[in-house]
Amino acid sequence: METKLSMFFVTRCLALVLALALTACGAPAPAPATEAPPAELTGSLTVLDWAGYDAEDFWTDFKNTYPNVNVNFEIGASDADIYGKMKAGDQADIFHPYTGWLQFYVEEGLVEEIDTSKLTNWDKVPENFKEIGQFNSKQYFIPWDWGFTSILYRTDRVPEGIDSWSALMDPRFAGHLSMWDDGPGAVTVSSYIHEYDETAITEDQLAAIKEEWIAQRSLNLFYWAGEPELVDAMKSGDIWVAYAWQGAYALLLGEGVPVAYANPKEGRNSWVGVYGIRKGTENYELALKFLDSKLAEATGNNVVNLFYYGHSNQDVMTGITDETLKQAFSIDDPAILEKTNFTPNLTAEQRDAWTAMWAEVKAAP
Amino acid sequence: MTFAPTPSLPHSPPKMGEGERRAGGGWGLDHRATFRWLIFPPFVWLGLFLIAPLLLMAAFSFRSDLRGDLLQVWTPTLAQYARLAEVGSYWRLLGISALMALGVAVAAAILAYPLAYFLAFHGGAATGLYLVLLLVPFWTSYLLRVMAWKLMLGTEGVINSFLQYIHLIEEPLPALLYNRTAVIITLIYVWIPFAMLPILAALQRIEWSLFEAAADLGARPFHQFTRITLPLSLPGVFAAFFMVFIPTVGEYVTPILVGGSSGSMYGNIIQDFFTKAANWPLGSALSMIMLLATLLFVFIAIRLINLRELLE
Repeated sequence: METKLSMFFVTRCLALVLALALTACGAPAPAPATEAPPAELTGSLTVLDWAGYDAEDFWTDFKNTYPNVNVNFEIGASDADIYGKMKAGDQADIFHPYTGWLQFYVEEGLVEEIDTSKLTNWDKVPENFKEIGQFNSKQYFIPWDWGFTSILYRTDRVPEGIDSWSALMDPRFAGHLSMWDDGPGAVTVSSYIHEYDETAITEDQLAAIKEEWIAQRSLNLFYWAGEPELVDAMKSGDIWVAYAWQGAYALLLGEGVPVAYANPKEGRNSWVGVYGIRKGTENYELALKFLDSKLAEATGNNVVNLFYYGHSNQDVMTGITDETLKQAFSIDDPAILEKTNFTPNLTAEQRDAWTAMWAEVKAAP
Repeated sequence: MTFAPTPSLPHSPPKMGEGERRAGGGWGLDHRATFRWLIFPPFVWLGLFLIAPLLLMAAFSFRSDLRGDLLQVWTPTLAQYARLAEVGSYWRLLGISALMALGVAVAAAILAYPLAYFLAFHGGAATGLYLVLLLVPFWTSYLLRVMAWKLMLGTEGVINSFLQYIHLIEEPLPALLYNRTAVIITLIYVWIPFAMLPILAALQRIEWSLFEAAADLGARPFHQFTRITLPLSLPGVFAAFFMVFIPTVGEYVTPILVGGSSGSMYGNIIQDFFTKAANWPLGSALSMIMLLATLLFVFIAIRLINLRELLE
């Protein structure tokens, strides 16, 4: 027993000495002038992403340029889920949050600053998109996918059309409405309808919003959690009017379902998805390469063509010719962005209060 | 899986005394030591993956918010519980969920009984096959089975299509899906095969000689059932009841799929605070309340039923 232990100890010491010697040799040496060619680069990256985004179509440029790098995916179910996982010490190198949730990562020191000088596609990203990922004048996230939120409706059931977010509360559509299962989303809709300042909702306003959604619940068929669920129900005709992202709109259009995407008088909502690099990752350089290739054109085209979402690479967006897509992005409407409300970032207090409000709506008698 | 009648302790050779068994048991080890070794792995497993997370959750419920490191020393606060005390609708929902679970557990146990009875007494050589057939659905995903209910109950589903086909209704009935009734129906369906297993085990333990004796004394089949079968199978029925009741109180998947806006259960609220709100302290407090309430209910129920007496 004793000899075994001491042998173990000796090997451990040897390993330690070796490791130290290696780092000692490696550390002071300047970075090699010529990096290994991309095709020979090996390594491993872990990406915490949403279901569906793990498909190779959405990182095709990286796959083709670095075929020998092993990319693993972990799946998060929602922004809160991804945030919870990262906070609990998830070892993913890269993660994918959306506007509203970004500042928590910065506040909690979970995200590494991005060295944009190493991103070859960075200049193709418009300035206003870049700003979304900036906190304390540092770039913490790269913007990647974006889209609208508005009201999606069946034109055969609602031939008169829809021009306001209050359609979600309209008794005429009782039993055929579907709201997204999300507290902050509900606060957003109510604040558009009542012209509240979404960034400064008071307690009284929140109480009124709660009552409004409790009343809405009896008209609402189900709260949708994932887009496919909503698409199925709109296709079958169970749902006529819904809170929706334009991915659902484009999917239904593509399948020939008679639907339209409203331009409410209060304005549409818009959100942006970003990628961040985990603070303390050992794969920082590789992660940067991954993000750079995420911004590349072939990947961007897949985001637009397969998911019907916008991409932060401007060349991709200006290159769209497909009519369905043009309609989905309202590309031909020059004033659409002026009429759009961007999702503001939440404070921790707002997040807790708004999500609790939504739980109380669901629990209400 | 062996549900064939196996001789339980009373059937084993009667003359083997305690001393003989120890000497000739063939274990080669002291019984107690063996027991300790055998209990060790599950004990560690439960400790690491059940007890420790439960304690952590209990600790989280006394935290004021999720800011800062997850594992740190914090000053315990009752803030979360105070907040919950103010929201009457959560408590009401807990009551509703418990009532739903009660209904589901009673219905599942009652409906599973004839199944188990058939398998135990009339299955014959094919009992094993029937059992496998009953359990086959469990080889498919739970989600898949609940989705199948959506196909049954939906506006374009099997039931509505059939009723329209025979012209009993003109417009599809919207009320079949997306409400609490749909949740209850689906849950009963899901639980019946599970509930059957403990009842079957109890029925298979009943000795045939009891029926023969009863028949000799002139008892009709109905009396045999009420005087022998039912009382002796009750421990299995209660086991089935608790097996269904306890997990159903905290159920959240089925309500999401077939419950609609108004079919939420208490478990959905807990899930929301963990996965949608990133508010683990409040979610933990809600979970602790549910845990304590369920334990209390089970404790009272066991007292009322007097399970020990039944088992002896």
